[in-house]
Amino acid sequence: MFGKYKLSLQLKEKDIEITIDGRGKRRRYYRKVGEEEEEKYIYAENGEIVICPVEPVNLPKEGTAEHLLIELEKSIIIEPNVKDSFYVKFPIEIGVFLIDKTDVERIDIFTRVKPKYILYGSPESGIICRWWKSNVYNDVPEVDRTYEGVMKVDIKNSYKEWVEIKKLVFRAFDMKIFYDGYAYMHSQVEILKKLMGETSFIKRRPKGMKESIDIYLAKGIKRFEKKFVMEWGFK
Amino acid sequence: MNLTDVKNLFKYNIPGISIPIYKFLIFIVVIFVSIIIAQIVKINIRRTFKERVPKTTLSLMEKIAYYGILIIGFLAALGNLGFQLSGLLFTGGIIGIVIGFASQTVVSNLVSGLFLLIEKPIKVGDGVSIGDVSGVVKDIRVLSTTIRTWDGIYVRLPNEKVFTSNIQNFVAHAARRFEYKIGIRYKDDAEKAMEIIKNLLEEHPLILKEPAPQVFVAELGDSSVVLAVRIWAPSQHWFSVRTEMLWKIKVALEKEGIQIPFPQRVIWMAGKTEG
Repeated sequence: MFGKYKLSLQLKEKDIEITIDGRGKRRRYYRKVGEEEEEKYIYAENGEIVICPVEPVNLPKEGTAEHLLIELEKSIIIEPNVKDSFYVKFPIEIGVFLIDKTDVERIDIFTRVKPKYILYGSPESGIICRWWKSNVYNDVPEVDRTYEGVMKVDIKNSYKEWVEIKKLVFRAFDMKIFYDGYAYMHSQVEILKKLMGETSFIKRRPKGMKESIDIYLAKGIKRFEKKFVMEWGFK
Repeated sequence: MNLTDVKNLFKYNIPGISIPIYKFLIFIVVIFVSIIIAQIVKINIRRTFKERVPKTTLSLMEKIAYYGILIIGFLAALGNLGFQLSGLLFTGGIIGIVIGFASQTVVSNLVSGLFLLIEKPIKVGDGVSIGDVSGVVKDIRVLSTTIRTWDGIYVRLPNEKVFTSNIQNFVAHAARRFEYKIGIRYKDDAEKAMEIIKNLLEEHPLILKEPAPQVFVAELGDSSVVLAVRIWAPSQHWFSVRTEMLWKIKVALEKEGIQIPFPQRVIWMAGKTEG
């Protein structure tokens, strides 16, 4: 499903249907996921359609959250000064974009899973995050690419004590999603204190994968902040 | 007119104020240059900080830089005209006191405005209640704050009033809680009702996973068992969630045969024999 298409297409995967039909300048975009439908008209002669996974913080209402919290089904207890890697699954939203040489226009964003949000920190100073629960995997897990992706997590405990990790929070501004058959991200977590850590993303494109369209750049938002400081702990 | 004539012309005093024309021209040029510099600095501040600082802070930064440069330029230009700045400051001080007394309210609003910008109890776009006015903050200016009430009315509040009133900011915190009280019949299964409500809340994306919603029996009322439902939602969306969920809960309960009773009273008639 992910990839670049001409201005005429018909796709069906699981309960997702996407159609662009019509002739000449006037096209009709139609998308159905489960019972939810979306229809738009596209007046364009040139350009291509890109369907790719995007940062999972746009639905049901844009601007609800700017962070993703992944709750681990089983905690990880990590020894001081140890580095390791593991994989988790993360939710994706699917973006449909119209692109030409100079511009990227978002046509639609949808998802197959119902999003759920959570508060990380206290109500007065915490942040709203998109919530997701994942197991911890030693190898790349199998995913249903229509609603989830794989995140590799490089973790390092720079603190002098053992630390238990039950949740990880990532900044959507900082995400870099790649895709081939499925969505993929590579993150880094550094534990600085018992209740504080830093999360960020490695932006290097893995071999054979394509880079997803950055939803924030598509909206014309420049990014300034990079790493996210988890200051309300890991549990 | 030869070159000497032109030089002499520039040395002439402006009638009545005994300032040579060339000094007056320099005064104009300095003011003009300081306006240009102030504009350039203002534009650059906007470009550099537009996406990094809130709109109100940016506006304050622009104004401070713009008027600061203008004042410096004006004072420098006056020095060139031969004005003694110390005397000017003295005179300015006296005038300031006079104006201050004459415009206490304006100064009070100005100072309150500055404190509002520093303390930031409200921001543009926040849903607030200030004294008896509720709505969305549209602008925070130096002297006044404008609010669009929930029913769309423009209200201008002097900053002094804003500063001295009780302010409730509905979106200052990331999340907020609201509560429903729902009565069910005594003969209905309260455990089942709570389970239905919990499942419904779990389905809604904007009802926060944590802090988790609470559903419990709050009261054994006169006509019903009263269930309390406490829900946390993102502050931006709490009102839409609140208006949406109450009816959904009612429908879900009734679908499972659980009903919300009308107020009722059992009346025993005196003197009526049994059997």
